[in-house]
Amino acid sequence: MPLSFTQRFSFRRFTQGEAATANAVNLDHRRIFILPSRSGLVLAMVILLMLIASINYNNSMGFIFTFLLAAAAQVSSFYGFKNLSGLTVQATKSEPCFLGDQAHYNLRIKEQEGRERWAIYIKLGDKVEIIQNLKANQVVNLSMTVKPNKRGWFCAGTFTFFSYFPLSLFRAWSPLQFDQKLLVYPTPSANGLPLPIISIDKAEGSSISLQQGSDDFDGFRLYQQGDPYQRINWKAFAAGKGVFIKQFTSPLADEVSLNWSSCHANNTEQKLSQLCEWVLKAQQDGLSYSLKIPSNSYDANQGIQHQLRCLRALALYE
Amino acid sequence: MSNMNALNRETVITPLCLKLLLLCGFLLVLPHIGNLKPEFIVISLVLLTWRTLTVKFPQYMPNKWLLLPLSILLALFILKSFGMSFGRDASSSLLIVLLALKLLECRRSRDVVASVFVGFFVLITPFLFDQTILLALYSLCIFLLLLLTLLINTTGQVTLQGFTLFRLTATIFLQAIPLMLIGFLLFPRMIGPLWALPDNTSNAVSGISDTINPGQISNLALSSATAFRVTFEGEPPEQKDLYWRGAVFYETDGIKWQYKANYKVAEKLTDSAKPTEYKYTVIMEPHHQRWLYSLDLPSHKVANSKLSEDSQLMLSKKLGRTLSYTLTSNNASNKNLTDTLKKRALNLPKNTSDNILELAGNFRKNSSNDLEIVNKALQHFNQQDFFYTLNPPLLGKNPNDEFLFKTKQGFCSHYASAFTVLMRAANIPARIIAGYQGGVHNTLGSFWEIRQADAHVWVEVWLENSGWTRVDPTAAIAPERISNSINLAEQLRAGEVNFNINRPDGFMAFAQQAKWLLNTIDYYWQSGVLAYGPENQAEFLNKAGIKGWEDMVKWLTIFSVSFLVLLIIYLNFSKKTKPDKAQQILLAFCKRLSKKYGERRSYETVSDYFERVKKQNAQLTTSLNAINKSYLDCRYGREDIEPFKTNVKAFK
Repeated sequence: MPLSFTQRFSFRRFTQGEAATANAVNLDHRRIFILPSRSGLVLAMVILLMLIASINYNNSMGFIFTFLLAAAAQVSSFYGFKNLSGLTVQATKSEPCFLGDQAHYNLRIKEQEGRERWAIYIKLGDKVEIIQNLKANQVVNLSMTVKPNKRGWFCAGTFTFFSYFPLSLFRAWSPLQFDQKLLVYPTPSANGLPLPIISIDKAEGSSISLQQGSDDFDGFRLYQQGDPYQRINWKAFAAGKGVFIKQFTSPLADEVSLNWSSCHANNTEQKLSQLCEWVLKAQQDGLSYSLKIPSNSYDANQGIQHQLRCLRALALYE
Repeated sequence: MSNMNALNRETVITPLCLKLLLLCGFLLVLPHIGNLKPEFIVISLVLLTWRTLTVKFPQYMPNKWLLLPLSILLALFILKSFGMSFGRDASSSLLIVLLALKLLECRRSRDVVASVFVGFFVLITPFLFDQTILLALYSLCIFLLLLLTLLINTTGQVTLQGFTLFRLTATIFLQAIPLMLIGFLLFPRMIGPLWALPDNTSNAVSGISDTINPGQISNLALSSATAFRVTFEGEPPEQKDLYWRGAVFYETDGIKWQYKANYKVAEKLTDSAKPTEYKYTVIMEPHHQRWLYSLDLPSHKVANSKLSEDSQLMLSKKLGRTLSYTLTSNNASNKNLTDTLKKRALNLPKNTSDNILELAGNFRKNSSNDLEIVNKALQHFNQQDFFYTLNPPLLGKNPNDEFLFKTKQGFCSHYASAFTVLMRAANIPARIIAGYQGGVHNTLGSFWEIRQADAHVWVEVWLENSGWTRVDPTAAIAPERISNSINLAEQLRAGEVNFNINRPDGFMAFAQQAKWLLNTIDYYWQSGVLAYGPENQAEFLNKAGIKGWEDMVKWLTIFSVSFLVLLIIYLNFSKKTKPDKAQQILLAFCKRLSKKYGERRSYETVSDYFERVKKQNAQLTTSLNAINKSYLDCRYGREDIEPFKTNVKAFK
């Protein structure tokens, strides 16, 4: 996509990169910038001193080596550019995380010009990763850790690819932004409040009592994704019979009702945090649970899909 | 920003990098042996050895509480040794000690970069002392080694396996050469130093100095060092006429002769018609004197010099670099004798003995003109038992008298000194010329090499008819000195004069050829590279139509920018890897499909794209499947591309 005139000369392009994209980005002359590094500026001073000495003594060999050094420094800048040029970078799927935890933002970096690359640094926020060596046509999957500071959709910001290759005299850099966002769930509350379990008497259907989940063993069923590990029948698994889950039922059908209004917390974030914790706990205990918050409501259900839906609703609650 | 830089710079130095750096350190100090005072060489080598030992015994690495006082101490030591005169010797000594100190505290990646930078500076310091080809090649190796060290430091490699980094170093070097040449040729050279060079004369310069002391033995006769080299355009004069005039001496105290620089320009030097002319180019080694050497009478001055009334080419400053100049000389005589000059040329030293006055009086009495007196004096040397030797007896307080009447043994300066005093006593204006006589003709390179051993002193007397006339009293006693070149090898062996009268043969001839070859290479090095200073640059660029420094800067910019642009084009468009045959066909095929079914998106694999097309047109399913399978087969399975080609062709 060609850039408009203002886009081309906006300062943002040099520091934060072009507009975010979901596609693979090819690093080319439009995205790579290069300027002398601090060492490069120091070398410029050294070259100046060498030149003054050569002029002063009118020394031919002095001139030759001074110019040779300056020329080599200049030529090295092209190799600095080439070290980044022709890489493709794509943001790949990243797992959601809880607020306060470290998330992993995944990048797929591909060398596709058949040249070996050296010492490429990737900076995100204050974290820097290094790829010491990238062989010709090699693909590297890189996981950058980030610590999101709020729940909801988290945008990682600018990834800066940079390199001091080959002589540390120039810093070539390429700032990239990706569309792929990271979903951040609320922090699970740590206050250890029990699950609000509602026992529904099947016979009577209306009497409600809160119970602490006393369960009776009811038999086995096949493992499904999201089932708690504690309930796996390890004996059967060890015997090679497959993965089975111990099922429990209470004499009363247990159902957890997670309700915005019944959650006693001071503010929205704490409420969300509490609900998040309960969703996790209910899932772990293999209970069926419903979630009711002002923006969404989910009927009682079980399984990983249900959990993800609930957590997502909590994460995105405005 | 700082954090990120820190990451790169704070990395601990790899052992490989450290070893390379230490190697560079030792190699950089070595050429200074003999140039600098030994204490500084020893200090640097000790510090470097210390650092080398810490590779094996890291516990002996000095901490900053030891390093800081050590650095201050060494700085004070250097300051004490050189004082405030900060020239070549002081800065070189400081730099090698600084390099060693920097290496001693080198722990991190950042320190490596700083050390290599100091290394680059140290690299050019030996050239302030000597600029031979061997040193240049040696320094080039270190230059490449320094680049490699920087490269290995940046990439953080721990082993030297693979030649990728070697190749890259060599590539960068080769691609830097044209740019270096552009800079070397076009960067405007300035005449004269930017500030005074205090210690250029500190080490004794071999060559003709500004005093002639017949009482002391000249050590020049045994020096094989080159004074200058000459190429003639056209026929050169005969060997016996190759008198390279340098300093002109008038003043003497009866013991030694003292040079007094004379910048006065004569209104008219000569009145004779155009005589024989010789055109030649001199490549002068730095001799740290103000005069230049020329044959007979230079017909014009060379850049930045004056042609004095003594027909001497005078520089405004002492020559501290290799200088090349082209001259035309003729053998007309200098007819310039002002009253001041006459007074100076007749001034007799106070200790002129009665013997000398009597001898001169005798010559005067028995002659009708000045020329006869000169000839009588020469005959006197020839007929009396005078003897030409490099090892004459030492002379006392009145050397001229003792030489003429007692020892009668000596070399050119004895004869010239005594002869001049004798002429002045006979009332003939006379002066001493110090310069070189003859030289060795290198037939291979077709140039003349004038060595310090060819140093010679002769006399010029003023005669009414011919003006200043060259008289060489040495020729009267040892004509072979003048008509043959000196056989230096033999002279060195015997410690006595020896001339090349017989042509060498056999092994000697071969040895001479080999020596000539080396001298020829050196000659081209001197004249082509080292002598490329302000004068040569102006002359060279004038031929290309580039005049003045503004023009030079303009062309310097144009050439270097064009070269860089060409290099960028070459680097970015020459080696672009083409997709292989199968991929090319596939891309063309996708383009065909895109007209009907939309473009393939960048994230779609071929299979994904075909699926999308199939959804739009189910009839294509079979043919697309076949194409996809054969494509995947030929790219990732068997190498056969033919089924894929046929399938694509069959597609309607």
